[in-house]
Amino acid sequence: MADALKPDEQTAMIGIGEYRVGSFPMMTIGLGSCIGLTLYDESSKIGAMVHIMLPDSAGRQDRPGKYADTAIPLLLKELGIKGAKTKSLIAKMAGGACMFEYFGTNLNIGERNAERVRAILKEQGIPLKKEDVGGKVGRSVTFFPANGGKITIRRADGTTGEL
Amino acid sequence: MKLSTVQADAIQELGNIGAAHAATTLSQMLGSAVEMSVPAIKAIDISELGSYMGEEAAAMVAFELQGEIAHGGYIVFYISRESAIRLTNTMLGLTDMNRPMNEMDESALLEVGNIMVSAFLDATAELLGFIMLPSPPALTIDMAHAAMSSLVAQMGEEIDEVLLFSTELVCEEHKIDSDIIMMPENTTLARIVELMENMMKGI
Repeated sequence: MADALKPDEQTAMIGIGEYRVGSFPMMTIGLGSCIGLTLYDESSKIGAMVHIMLPDSAGRQDRPGKYADTAIPLLLKELGIKGAKTKSLIAKMAGGACMFEYFGTNLNIGERNAERVRAILKEQGIPLKKEDVGGKVGRSVTFFPANGGKITIRRADGTTGEL
Repeated sequence: MKLSTVQADAIQELGNIGAAHAATTLSQMLGSAVEMSVPAIKAIDISELGSYMGEEAAAMVAFELQGEIAHGGYIVFYISRESAIRLTNTMLGLTDMNRPMNEMDESALLEVGNIMVSAFLDATAELLGFIMLPSPPALTIDMAHAAMSSLVAQMGEEIDEVLLFSTELVCEEHKIDSDIIMMPENTTLARIVELMENMMKGI
């Protein structure tokens, strides 16, 4: 890859259900059916990243970052506090894969996660600029708010990508 | 649920018996000795799962636990990608370590996972009289966290902490390192603990 952007010791690791807001690099490793969602405001160079596991909170409030329906309003609130402008936010997402093809009870959680995120972003009027979702592949995602909100993706087979 | 020391010991003993049977089957398939570790039990907050299961490439054969409890959690035969190639090479009579994995490898891994997990669950059923049947197997060769977190997601929205109950199986001769990892959901865990406690009282 020509671009030298790589995660370093300053990079915040974001586990399942966690989120961060700021201009430092942020990373989610090994997304399977989970979604790594980023919101970015170009004017302030502030961004937010969350590691969503499921589409619906079903009323649970203790871990808002874990569910798509509670994570997005949370990020909007936190971004507002840090001085980002909601109107200029753009979203990107990665993940939402289906790692195991067959289970008797398998509902495709990855796909449902991605659909829910799209729907909520639309409701909130936030454009989803780019996405790399679905398939049967794990992804590690690094987000660089200070570099124009760029996202780098690494897959288990060693291939890389950018959003 | 929180486990007391006695309960953790009971589960460890169950793991010992299950893993011993799985180790025997692996040893037979490879034609060489297989050592097993003491089973480890870890309660891990989902946000910390990445510290235990990271980006490393591994083959994972996953089964849902079914039977008396319909969706009882998952059991996984976990083997690093390197060890997986050594395993299938040994089974298929190949030597090239740097080859891509193909359908032959995948069927071999599914078969090995199936045999080992069945041996594990047969042994625990015999001991406890508690039937946990494996679903048909599903295989992925990818980042450990990507696969394991997807199983956790299937366990439902109320899961904030996952109980990882793992036993390492090592074949020194072929440098094969693998694990059997059980992630029981709470009903399954409670039932296992109850049965183990009853059994230990009886002794």
